[in-house]
Amino acid sequence: MIPDSDSVVSEAAKKLRHELRTPINHIVGYAEMLLEDSEAEEFADRRSALEEVIAAAGEILGEINTALPPSLAEPSDEGVRRLYEAFQGPRARVVEATDRLNGLPGVADDRDFASDLLRIREAAEKLAPPDEADSKSAGQHRDEGSRADAEEGQSLILVVDDDENNREVLRRRLEREGHATVCAENGVDALEKVAAHSFDLVLLDVMMPEMDGYETLGRLKLDAVTRDIPVIMISALDDMRSIVRCIEKGAEDYLPKPFDPVLLRARIDASLEKKRFRDQEVDYLRQVDRVIEAAASVESGAYDRASLTEVGQRADALGRLARVFDSMAGEVRSREMRLRTRVRELRQEIDAARGSVSSTEAFEGGQLAAGETLAERYEIVELLGHGGMGAVYRARDLELDEDVAIKMLRPEFVADPESLERFKTEIKLARRISHPNVVRTHDFGETEGVRFLTMELVEGLTLRDLIDSRGQLGVSAVLAIAAQLAESLVIAHAQGVVHRDIKPQNLLLDEEGVLKVMDFGVACLSQRSSNLTQAGAIIGTPAYMSPEQLIGEHVDERSDLYSVGVVLYECLSGRPPLDGSSPITLIAKVLREDPPPLGELTEGVPEAVAALIHRLLAKNPNDRIASAATLGGELARMN
Amino acid sequence: MPKILLVEDNEMNRDMLSRRLTRRGFEVAIAVDGREGVEQASTGEYDLVLMDMSLPEIDGWEATRRLRASPDTASLPIIALTAHAMAGDREKALEAGCDDYDTKPIELKRLLSKIEALLPDGS
Repeated sequence: MIPDSDSVVSEAAKKLRHELRTPINHIVGYAEMLLEDSEAEEFADRRSALEEVIAAAGEILGEINTALPPSLAEPSDEGVRRLYEAFQGPRARVVEATDRLNGLPGVADDRDFASDLLRIREAAEKLAPPDEADSKSAGQHRDEGSRADAEEGQSLILVVDDDENNREVLRRRLEREGHATVCAENGVDALEKVAAHSFDLVLLDVMMPEMDGYETLGRLKLDAVTRDIPVIMISALDDMRSIVRCIEKGAEDYLPKPFDPVLLRARIDASLEKKRFRDQEVDYLRQVDRVIEAAASVESGAYDRASLTEVGQRADALGRLARVFDSMAGEVRSREMRLRTRVRELRQEIDAARGSVSSTEAFEGGQLAAGETLAERYEIVELLGHGGMGAVYRARDLELDEDVAIKMLRPEFVADPESLERFKTEIKLARRISHPNVVRTHDFGETEGVRFLTMELVEGLTLRDLIDSRGQLGVSAVLAIAAQLAESLVIAHAQGVVHRDIKPQNLLLDEEGVLKVMDFGVACLSQRSSNLTQAGAIIGTPAYMSPEQLIGEHVDERSDLYSVGVVLYECLSGRPPLDGSSPITLIAKVLREDPPPLGELTEGVPEAVAALIHRLLAKNPNDRIASAATLGGELARMN
Repeated sequence: MPKILLVEDNEMNRDMLSRRLTRRGFEVAIAVDGREGVEQASTGEYDLVLMDMSLPEIDGWEATRRLRASPDTASLPIIALTAHAMAGDREKALEAGCDDYDTKPIELKRLLSKIEALLPDGS
């Protein structure tokens, strides 16, 4: 009866013997074969080195047989450690002899010889002492899937090979190079592990049972999630067809077995480097998308500052763009919030005023009565008021079925070519300007000797009505008016148009708090002196005119800014900055006197706001705020 | 030319031993696991089988038992190979039906003499 050895000898002992004796088998087998090939006289150097390899391998085997006799039940950890230590000397001689062989003349060109030398070298590597980390598991079954993901800065590599020895060689080499590894023994196992970890590289054997390397590669490249993981094929096959097939299927590179350590390292490093660049590129594009999304979200009002935190941490231009963008978006948002608050307060003022302002004035001998139709198109609804040039009516545009405003030219001006000319100028200039803060002008018409202008009808009240009703307006509401006034003038001035008659009567406010400038009837082109204005003739409303306009000098955009200053001063204080019982005294004051400081007339006006208005009221245009755009910018920055 | 079937899962062992035997004038075919080994051996083309004992699918012991159980291969010479080289392995191999047994690392001369001894005359 044969004793059942399994009951005496542990699996661990069997496994350890197998692990150690197999590489010896390779070393001796290949060395003996090479020795047979080196019989020629000229290969004496090769022979002596190969004999040394065989002798050293014999010594290693001796150590193994001594430490692990066939009857040993269970090797101790300490015993295993001592055994490895004992044969490191001869192992080093094997390595040293193969190095020497590699350096001999003709070896590099003898492909078969060099290839078998690599196998010897590979086998010798398997006999290196187990690393600190896995010293305890030497001779025990390794749980190959249990390796944790790579540490910071470490690459995680999946080794797929059905041959345990190959896996082990690669694992050891890679870990010695500082990489983290996970091993898989077939294609199915590999795909499962790829799904569970985030690999930087896959080393994939071609010939494997069940699912081979080609199939596995194909599946990895089909899946969008795993497509970008570089794959290096490893195989004993080194024919061109296999290489081409793998590259066509998307493999990054190809490594023939047995592995040349230098080539292996170079190709793995190159693939990892490419992967890093690709990752960086993908990351970069993802972050560019973030910035684009952020831009879109600013437009839709849903910008979340946290969305750019990560991108903003980049040290490159994209990071700087994200930081600048974030700070600009933040600024825009807070400006918007401020403007919204101001407009809300303006609306409250408007709501409060509407109750007390009578919307219809009595007809004062107007030419048109309600129900009358003009030019067979406009049905008069009611008289809205009187502009500089004539009465303004609400009318129904029967053709377009909507209400419009119609401004008539006073009958006494009909015969006056100058007035008519000015009327036409108003239309031409006003039509140049398309802006939410400017009343839109539609058409110029004439019927039965009556000339008229049709305009956008603004449902609301004038700033005149508002001031008269409220007495004084709150600072926020005034800033909302100022900001919109500045915006409308930025557009008008950019078109070369100076309004010349900015005053509360010409500023309409709708229910939403939107301000609209109207009555460009006295506007002129700032670039050329108007031939419509005779010397000494005053056009505009004296209380709101700039000093230069009052004395008939050349006016430009800055004259409008003076008028804005008067309007804002009046809004806050309830009275114009300078007053006169007659035009002459008014002119004298405007030319010589400074208006009383706003802060003395009204409480609660921030100093910056008061200072801004006084700068608009400077006598010398050069001392005023330079442009409507500058005014807009300063208003936006005010808290 | 004698035909030998080498049943071996380790790639380097396969490469090395098959080349060495070819140099000695044998025709060598390869099987990579026990199942493939049994299938190929059953074709009746081989004069001798070198059977590694630790194989995937079905191991060398089981493969040998199956070959012995089949009338076609009952008398096919089989040499067991193992790197375990544990006490009792030899007896176990013989009991399973192997004609001889050798250990790795392989001493080629010793293995060749075992092969020669088992090959039928004239093959």
